[in-house]
Amino acid sequence: MAVTDTRSFEALTLGLGGEIFAIDANSVHEILDVVPQTEVPGAPPLVGRLINVRGKVVPLADLRIRFGMDCTPPTIDTRIVVVEILLDDEPTVVGLLADKVHEVTSIAGASIEDTPDIGMRWNPDLIKGIGKRGDDFIVIPDIVRIFTTH
Amino acid sequence: MTGADPSQIFREEAAELLAALETALLHLEQRPADREPLDTAFRALHTIKGSGSMFGFEAAASFTHHLESAFDRMRKGELAATPAMIGIALAAKDHIRVLIDDPAGADAAAGAGILARLAEQSDGAAMSASLRQDLDDADGRASWRVRFRLAPDALERGTNPLLLLDELRELGDAGVVALTGDIPPLEELEPTLCHVAWEVILTTTHPRSTIEDVFIFVIDETELTIEPVPVPVPEREAEQGPVMTADLPAPAPVPREPAAPKAEAGPEKAKAQPAANSIRVPAERLDDLMDQVGELVIAHARLKQLVSDSVDLQIKSVTEEIERLSNGLRDITMGIRMVPVESLFGRFRRLVRDLSQELGKDVALTMSGEETELDKTMIERLNDPLVHIIRNSLDHGLEPAADRVAAGKPPQGRIHLSARHAGTRVLMTIRDDGRGLDRDRIRAKAEEQELIPPGAKLSDAELFQLIFHPGFSTARALTSVSGRGIGMDVVKRTIDGLRGTIEVSSTPGGGTEITLGLPLTLAIIDGLLVRVGQGRYVIPLFAVEECVELPPDVERRHAGRNFLNIRGALVPFLRLRDSFGVRHPPDLYQKIVIISSGDRRVGLVVDQVLGDHQTVIKSMSKLHADVASFSGATILGDGSVALILDIAQIVAAGQVQDQRREAS
Amino acid sequence: MAKTVLAVDDSASMRQMVKLTLSTAGYQVVEAADGREALAKAKGTAFDMVLTDLNMPNMDGLTLIRELRTLSTYRGVPIVFLTTESDAGKKAEAKTAGATAWIVKPFQQDQLLNLVRKIIGT
Repeated sequence: MAVTDTRSFEALTLGLGGEIFAIDANSVHEILDVVPQTEVPGAPPLVGRLINVRGKVVPLADLRIRFGMDCTPPTIDTRIVVVEILLDDEPTVVGLLADKVHEVTSIAGASIEDTPDIGMRWNPDLIKGIGKRGDDFIVIPDIVRIFTTH
Repeated sequence: MTGADPSQIFREEAAELLAALETALLHLEQRPADREPLDTAFRALHTIKGSGSMFGFEAAASFTHHLESAFDRMRKGELAATPAMIGIALAAKDHIRVLIDDPAGADAAAGAGILARLAEQSDGAAMSASLRQDLDDADGRASWRVRFRLAPDALERGTNPLLLLDELRELGDAGVVALTGDIPPLEELEPTLCHVAWEVILTTTHPRSTIEDVFIFVIDETELTIEPVPVPVPEREAEQGPVMTADLPAPAPVPREPAAPKAEAGPEKAKAQPAANSIRVPAERLDDLMDQVGELVIAHARLKQLVSDSVDLQIKSVTEEIERLSNGLRDITMGIRMVPVESLFGRFRRLVRDLSQELGKDVALTMSGEETELDKTMIERLNDPLVHIIRNSLDHGLEPAADRVAAGKPPQGRIHLSARHAGTRVLMTIRDDGRGLDRDRIRAKAEEQELIPPGAKLSDAELFQLIFHPGFSTARALTSVSGRGIGMDVVKRTIDGLRGTIEVSSTPGGGTEITLGLPLTLAIIDGLLVRVGQGRYVIPLFAVEECVELPPDVERRHAGRNFLNIRGALVPFLRLRDSFGVRHPPDLYQKIVIISSGDRRVGLVVDQVLGDHQTVIKSMSKLHADVASFSGATILGDGSVALILDIAQIVAAGQVQDQRREAS
Repeated sequence: MAKTVLAVDDSASMRQMVKLTLSTAGYQVVEAADGREALAKAKGTAFDMVLTDLNMPNMDGLTLIRELRTLSTYRGVPIVFLTTESDAGKKAEAKTAGATAWIVKPFQQDQLLNLVRKIIGT
């Protein structure tokens, strides 16, 4: 069940597994180059690593795992997008791995369509909708759901 | 920030005053002749009344007024601090709290009832002469040397030094000496001027400011010094000049004995320190400060690593300077957060008093080491576990008086709380002289719940650890006080969460002793940095017993069984490589770090021991709440993150593996 | 014998309050409405203490204090003046003039009583 968000919003677009994802630009703290990462034995693969963001220990999430994409090794374009999300009403800082960071753009509410139930190669529960920009489809992931459902 | 709202400040202040009042009342109940708790109680009531009416807590202020009056009369010896009076005062204290916190929700009838009982007690309850005497001899006073020389024309201006001396004498025991050295020869003497100065050795419970107030109208023109003198005061009066007796009764003797040393004098002593120079800071600011200092320690570690390759001596020297400063700042910051455990222990006087009445057991609570300091957050979190432990002691540990007498023990049960430093840890002990833990019942219960195989060989310490198992309770009859099978497992979880340890010892018929080992602070621990595969991990140093080399033949000899012979004792060990799923090939010479939790020891096989590491603890993200093996993370000198092993969890995991192997 | 206090104030209610408070406590109180009247009464009786306001018609309190101190019978007699918080300068002036003590208006009855006891005893 996907919920359509009809408001337009400022979004940061990033490349992930060959798709373009858009996340709310207001939630973005900063964008980092790849930093040393620490594996957390026993942690869910989605958040299997930790990074140091200005002295804070922050989990690093690889969204590609949730969307069943190939986890290709980092390239020169790989970035870490540090976002703050609300988990159980508690602000939580998470780093999101991105194959590439594109731009900050405005996505108009009208251009957001309901998530098509079929024809997607990933779980429709994890996305809020599909936006369009020119001929490109932009996936608007539901970040909170990604971290709260299994 | 809470700084702006005076009524909020009053609430906080009142909460502290009420706590102090309660402690004082309970002291007073034990030792009705003590002067200091009486004064403390009176001052607390006085301040609550005064500030309360100023900040709009009229109901609380007017209620408090009655109690204050009664305590004023007790101070003057007109009323006795009887147990009944203390009981009323405790009830009144609870009522004042409600009147402050929730005036609308206060039960007016209950308040009126308390006042009625108070009035009943206050009327005609004359204090016995001996009690009066005791009061006068009570300790907890300070002695002051007050010297004053009035302006020469003070007498002409209507100042009467005799009245000043009288006022000083009213404050306490005063020895007065006239300093007559400056009186000119008779032919030069101007009789209207004042040539005499005075020195008064005053032993009083009043603060310095009250002494200064005596001189309020002349203070600008008077040479006045007020300095504390240590008790006992040497009898110097005779050497200095004639004691002034004209118009004055002989000065009361200055007590020769210092405050009688008592086992429980710690907190009083601490409180006797002047509190005037303290400031109130919201706890969050201290947390922020600690965070920043943590960052500084980490940043310095990085700097040190970068500089280690440098040949520039100046940079090296600056780096060392920064190290010294940041270590100093860290120590000071940790010190600011430290509070004496008295603030924690003090709460239990009331608990024990109420519970012992409820259970009909006569129990004496004693304490030692209340001045031992612990991180404030730690103190807060220790409250519930200690309440559980004390309840258990009272309810299950201590026998009814008849049973005690039959067992040849004094009818009054004893519970002793103590705290002391042991290295970088604080050991907190709760000891009772009750019947002790029932080994057979614990064993039977554990077997019944299949926690241990029937007939398993267990040491006492291992057996006692079972009481911390969830759902474990041996109480025959559930009482309202404890029982219900909750409690001790929660205690264990809380103490684990604080990176603490619990040890239990017990003698049948002799009592039980529970010792909590606690870190001084939650923010920084000493750790042992180890490498497993390519990952680095921190093992809290308090749990580390020793590091040994893994003998290359150990696997062959034990045919795959993960046991190690440490001086004759078989210690199970865990290969952290396996636990952490490391694929990287192992080092040739592996090390074993032997850690202990409670009485259990487990060896952890690591690839390399990297050394000591002072660890600023960062909590794990909510997203890693399910990861049990780690209690937190830290940031290393190179900026990367290392995980801190959760000792209790790792040991439990080792034990499970141990049992699995035994079963197979 | 009861100690006598001369209460000097142009406000009748204030004199009333002083008289009531002190006479209840066993002092004898004589009233004067201004400095001139007070000085006249002081010359006729040896009061144990003078309690005076500063702002009064005819002769103000400061002048009264100075005048009293010139009388040999009033050297050494406590003189207490009434003042308000804002009168810091006045306070210094009055002390220079020879005042012994002061009490800040407004005051409670027991504050006054404590002061008088402090200054001249019971």
